Amino acid sequence: MTLLKATGLSAGYGPVTVLQGLDLEVQQGEFVVMLGANGAGKTTTMRAISGLLSRQGHIEFEGVDITKASPDAIVRAGIAQVPQGRGTFPELSVEDNLHTGAFVRADAEGVRDDIARWLAVFPRLAERRHQRAGSLSGGEQQMLAIARALMSRPKLLLCDEPSLGLAPLITQELFSVLEGLHRDEGLSVLLVEQNANLAMHIASRVYLLETGRIVASGSAAELSADDSIRKAYLGF
Amino acid sequence: MALFFQRLVDGLSYGSVYALIALGLVIVYRGTGHLNFAQGEMALFCAYFVYQFGEWGIPIWPAMLLGMGVGFLLGSATEVTLIRPIARRSPFAVFIVTIGLFTFLNWLDGAIWGNQQLPNSGVGSEQLTYPSLFPNDPQDQWLPFGVSIRYERVGILVLVLVLTGLLFLLFNKTKFGLSMRAVASNSESAKLSGIRTNRVLMMSWGLAAAIGALGGVVQAGLNGNVNLGLMFTVFIYGSAAATLGGFDSPGGAVIGGLLIGVIENLASGYAPQWVGQEMKLGVAFIVILAVLLVKPSGLFGTAKVERV
Amino acid sequence: MKSLVSIREGGLASWAFRLGAAALVAGLVLWIPTSAGGGLISTAIEALTLMSAAMALNLILGYTGQISIGHSAFLGIGAYTTGIFVSRWGFSPWLTFPIAFAIAFVVGVIVSFPASRIKGVYLALVTLSLGLVFPQLLTWKKLSWLTGGGAGLPNKDSQLQTTGFNIGRKEGQMLHFEIFGWNPFGDLRRPDNKAAFWYWIAAGVAVIVYLVCRGVVKSRIGRSMIAIRDNETAAAVMGVNLVRTKAFVFGLSAGLCALPGCVVAIKIGSVSPEGITSLTVKGAITFLIVMVIGGAGSLWGPIVGAALYVFVTEKTGEWANDDAIPALIRPLFAWAKVPPGDGIFAILLILLMFVAPRGIVGLWNQYSSRIVRVLPRPAGAVGPAPMAAVAVSTITDSEGEHE
Repeated sequence: MTLLKATGLSAGYGPVTVLQGLDLEVQQGEFVVMLGANGAGKTTTMRAISGLLSRQGHIEFEGVDITKASPDAIVRAGIAQVPQGRGTFPELSVEDNLHTGAFVRADAEGVRDDIARWLAVFPRLAERRHQRAGSLSGGEQQMLAIARALMSRPKLLLCDEPSLGLAPLITQELFSVLEGLHRDEGLSVLLVEQNANLAMHIASRVYLLETGRIVASGSAAELSADDSIRKAYLGF
Repeated sequence: MALFFQRLVDGLSYGSVYALIALGLVIVYRGTGHLNFAQGEMALFCAYFVYQFGEWGIPIWPAMLLGMGVGFLLGSATEVTLIRPIARRSPFAVFIVTIGLFTFLNWLDGAIWGNQQLPNSGVGSEQLTYPSLFPNDPQDQWLPFGVSIRYERVGILVLVLVLTGLLFLLFNKTKFGLSMRAVASNSESAKLSGIRTNRVLMMSWGLAAAIGALGGVVQAGLNGNVNLGLMFTVFIYGSAAATLGGFDSPGGAVIGGLLIGVIENLASGYAPQWVGQEMKLGVAFIVILAVLLVKPSGLFGTAKVERV
Repeated sequence: MKSLVSIREGGLASWAFRLGAAALVAGLVLWIPTSAGGGLISTAIEALTLMSAAMALNLILGYTGQISIGHSAFLGIGAYTTGIFVSRWGFSPWLTFPIAFAIAFVVGVIVSFPASRIKGVYLALVTLSLGLVFPQLLTWKKLSWLTGGGAGLPNKDSQLQTTGFNIGRKEGQMLHFEIFGWNPFGDLRRPDNKAAFWYWIAAGVAVIVYLVCRGVVKSRIGRSMIAIRDNETAAAVMGVNLVRTKAFVFGLSAGLCALPGCVVAIKIGSVSPEGITSLTVKGAITFLIVMVIGGAGSLWGPIVGAALYVFVTEKTGEWANDDAIPALIRPLFAWAKVPPGDGIFAILLILLMFVAPRGIVGLWNQYSSRIVRVLPRPAGAVGPAPMAAVAVSTITDSEGEHE
């Protein structure tokens, strides 16, 4: 079943239109990757889906129109985002960051259980449970950001360049966590990246984004097979 | 020695009012990043209302709570109608709007209640003096070791400390408090967590104004009357307190307020030639300047690294 | 955007327009002291001093983007310089103008040093405290040997009344004002002539302030100021010396703001903290309001704003008394126990931030281009193009927009 469907999505900042009518979709249980260079519009797409920008066109989630929905309604509907640059709350403790992620939930018991769960998955966060998030390293903050997004038990997880500024080892660790969640729990993911290598291995499907338009889409195998695409966009 | 104690206690009670104004300033600043220049005048407006409630026979404590309610409405309405639409343009425009609000509220007070001090029998006031929250008769005091500790002064201090405690609980133990802290820390991530940031901003302003209203009522009670100029200097002292404590630290605001109250009172008491009554504001000015030059983030604030 | 009329910059019609506007203003300025009654002259003097102060503030706030709500202190420095130097030490009032400028300039430079390290709202707080502390300094017992304390000057120790210009014959009273043998004002003991005399002093100061502001704004320093306002870090990176520029502009702004203070002292004849509202924070806020309503960051903004402010305040001053309000609008204001002037301007200020953040002058610039559009001179062209000076056009043209 189609989880997220965007048709003719346009968005921008003031007089500058970045997205020029995108069509994309994410099926339930898919791990979709969007690749694109700097300035292609990846972050704009993420922000548009989460309702942080005003957008034109049409976005549907689980069949419900969310084109005009407010950011908090979109979170309640089941979409959570790990924004670019971590987006942690630096003055709040690790634990408070996680509590904030669960803001839309009313079940205190479940929230406590989930906090315990994510601290187990990311032991480094457990060690720093009461520390201010701003004092964590880049990798730890990224883990925190992912855990925070997952605290709302989303149906669709949006990830905006999680590897940015991180050492390769950490990045691999993160990706394996995401892959694990996708495989074991059927979490649907839409992930945008500049780094093609890592993402291609996990992706069910890939979109290529260039200056606000989708220029190619297909499975990772299909795109790798096409020589011109491979050389121009995937760099190998 | 007794005199020192006396001055200390008096300083703490005046400082309590500064602390209240500073708290309001800090809550708004933390939540929205703006300095509410009209904080003092909002407080004054509510203090006038409480006078009016008194004229209608309402006892002071209920009247004060009603006044805080008026403040809450005023603050939240201001945020929604005036600040939010303008904040998109520039911080300077917001600043100008708060200056305009400052002038408007002061004018409105005069327009509604006139420019003499109230209560005033010449105007037909029912009350003799502005009501105080605590027993205020000349004999309502303890007299240990020759020091006069008036019930009123202690009461105010206790009230402010209790309020501070309640706010601490609100910020740290409630979901709403968490949302306030989250919005103050990273408003976009707060949105991504499902927090309705607009609502949080509105409530921040409302809360700040309500606290300010309490400050206005207390100040008027200490002063014996409410008049148009009541909150000018208090606003400056409150700003000095917020600067000293750190504009993003509510606890710092309270400590800053009490400190400044004490410093100011001790300075004017012990150096009447140099400070006296005339130059009390000079103390506030020096404090603001010194803090901003030495440690701009204040005693308890967090230093912000400016990213270019 | 459609315009009715297009004019080439530097062309004949452009000059005609400018001369016409200048003649209009000059005519008004000249007419006031000669035919109008004493009330209007007094109002005009108030407007002129307010204009000067607002223009001075505009330099540091409108153009350089540094918030100051304490300029009343500089005006006060001007007023008290005149008061002290004339009544205590017998200086000629004319000399006090440059002295006041110099003192205020130095104070402004000193203030600018901490100001360089303090941003935005904090600077507002610091300057506000300065503005509040200044009147307190005046009443400070430690300084009353100089300032005359709360009662002000002149007092029993003074040698002279401050209006006592001691140029000329008799001590204490200036009888005539002579320039190279020409006596334009007649006997200065008569109130009409005195009023005209003060008017011309005020107008002269306003003109000087305007010219200085214009000169600075159009110079390289002016561009540095605007660069600082728009993005300080970028300005520094581009080579603007932040500390020096701010120091200079603060000093200049302060010095210029002192001049109207001297005028006020001369006109009133005495200086005291109570007697001159413009040296209190209320005055500083008024300068700000006037500047923003007229148009911050424009040369004519403060002028327009001041004129409007004084005019409205004057007209509505009586409205605390219900009978004075025109019957039509009585229901709006009759309930108010104080004149509505301040309230009107406060509301106007707030509205303006929504509708016209650049003030009246900004609005004018926006809409006047619907009527008249000035086409800039093509690059490289020298001198006016007399033949093609005026072109009537209704075709929308996206080039050649002139603000």
